Amino acid sequence: MRSIDFHAHLTPQCFWRATESGGDWHGIKREQDARGRQIVVSGTSRGQLPPKSSWTPEQRLADMESLGVDIHVVSPFSGFYNYELDASLALASSRETNDEIRQMMMSWPDRFHGLATLPMQDVPAAVAELERVMVELEFKGAVIDDKVNGKLLDEPEFMPFWKAAEQLGAVILFHQGGETIVDRRIKRYHLPNSVGNLADRTLTFASLVMGGVMDACPDLRICLSHGGGYACYGAGRMDRGWERIPASDRLATQPPSQYLNRFYYDCIVYTEQALRFLIDSVGIDRVVFGTDWPYDMAQDWPVSWILAMDSITREEKDAILWQNLENLLGI
Amino acid sequence: MKHIDVHAHLAPQVLWQALDNGGDWHGMRHEARGELEFIVGHGKRILINSPKIRYTPEQRLADMDAEGTDVQVVSIHTPLFPYHWETGEAVQASKEVNDEIADMTKRWPDRFAGLATLPLQNVDAAIDELERSVKTLGLKGAELDMVVNGLNWDEPHFLPLFKAAESLGALLFFHPQPQDNIVAVERTLRYGLPNSVGVVMEDALVVATLICGGILDQCPNLKVCIAHGGGGACFAMGRLDHGWQVRSEARVNILKPPSAYQNQIYYDFLTSSEAGLRFLIDSVGADHVVIGSDWPFVGWDPSPGGWLASLQSLSAEEKEKIAWKNLEALLGI
Repeated sequence: MRSIDFHAHLTPQCFWRATESGGDWHGIKREQDARGRQIVVSGTSRGQLPPKSSWTPEQRLADMESLGVDIHVVSPFSGFYNYELDASLALASSRETNDEIRQMMMSWPDRFHGLATLPMQDVPAAVAELERVMVELEFKGAVIDDKVNGKLLDEPEFMPFWKAAEQLGAVILFHQGGETIVDRRIKRYHLPNSVGNLADRTLTFASLVMGGVMDACPDLRICLSHGGGYACYGAGRMDRGWERIPASDRLATQPPSQYLNRFYYDCIVYTEQALRFLIDSVGIDRVVFGTDWPYDMAQDWPVSWILAMDSITREEKDAILWQNLENLLGI
Repeated sequence: MKHIDVHAHLAPQVLWQALDNGGDWHGMRHEARGELEFIVGHGKRILINSPKIRYTPEQRLADMDAEGTDVQVVSIHTPLFPYHWETGEAVQASKEVNDEIADMTKRWPDRFAGLATLPLQNVDAAIDELERSVKTLGLKGAELDMVVNGLNWDEPHFLPLFKAAESLGALLFFHPQPQDNIVAVERTLRYGLPNSVGVVMEDALVVATLICGGILDQCPNLKVCIAHGGGGACFAMGRLDHGWQVRSEARVNILKPPSAYQNQIYYDFLTSSEAGLRFLIDSVGADHVVIGSDWPFVGWDPSPGGWLASLQSLSAEEKEKIAWKNLEALLGI
């Protein structure tokens, strides 16, 4: 039995070092609030960083030991996508972060693999950085936001990115950064996260399918975090919507539910009933272990949570915890 | 088996009569663009995407007979909600719609029940019209949008409406707009996504707002029904619960986790898949799921009741509850 975590964030040490004495990291600053919490300040946005986000790789490894997690496929903190910044700044912060992950992989090759962050506001630069991390740094793919400065990823300008990801065999993990679709409607009760993350992921599934990206890139490998949001539950209604589009106008050749098993999904759905539904909807070979380390929305004991489930077979648990990711990532 | 449908839209005859005479109904006009027809006014362009939306009550009854529906609980086509109109005009339009629906329920008491339209830009006027609709006209409650001019339902000034509905025993049926919803406003108009994805997001969001906003906690006997099976609310209830556990801002109005409130709500069965419906029933109980067809915009099955009957994973008892028993008890019909 192993466990490989595909949803594990990294707030890079280079950020912590650069901001230690009030300095900035590619224009991003850090403050401490009255309760001693770390606040990251980027432009007009302010976000709170959880205590573990400053941990060194050694501290992270100790936490992984206690959680029973063997491997982190590390992905950079989504607050540092920096898509709204000047592309050269985003490229610089991306490269520095990706290089730091490379160092973690070199030091602990059995414990860390890497997903890159990319300057998606500049598609050629994003493609070049993806190629660099895949070819030179031996990464497994990249993590990107559900939207790039307001644009969804089915916009034609992103097609070269999808083609490159397909050709390079990169796995693209979707994870929201900044505001979700719910933020401007209601900020209360944590709903921008608890509903908004899922809504954004659903829209990513729907727009990539309905926009024809999945047809244009048959070998593209995408993982939707947070179980893909409402995608598996809402695919039936998407099918009805697809049926209404005249056949000659359709960019997707099949109804959306037929694409559910083209994506990968992490297991962060919080209830056994929902995980069972996800597995039954998308196929057991498409669900992978993820924890959301080190955030408060993570389950306290994620491996134990899976192992304790009565309605999931031993074979299914193995598939989720490690086999699917071994196959997907070639590790 | 009897079939009662809680989710059946209506664009009133008073609107069509005005348009057919070349006029307008409270500022709503007819517009043709090529082969497409629209109702235009108050900053909206509403596509007429089903010829049945013009049906007279007699034509509607024939269609209900054909699809095997005994009773429709009729409510307005949501793009016609008048919340953003001038208040006096919205009050008058609401009265006309509600009077027309009441006439249908009086002429065919075994075939129609009704839900009112309310001028929510003025909560006092909305409460007055809800009271008139229920007490004088015999309607069963009201249909509500997901927001009122950008304001969510947890705003304190809406609480008197919920209290009034609770004491009147009125059902509040929440239904989003297929066009001007969160997906259209925030992200994209492509591929019909505001309808196919936006609608269910709105449903899930209103469930979360009614629960986390404390409305169901403060109005324990309030009758609420959410369209489209509540969107993905039941599927994602675990995430709401986890947020409630770890975030103090999620707990400001409720002492119990969100999932403890989800079976205070009724949901129509429009989940678009048997697996989705089964999940909904297992989450909220067969006592809280009812038929909702989305008439006349439904194209997925010629008969809502026929679809229900065909499902292998539901027991006969569950089907009876969903088909008519729950709504009969809820509405007293």
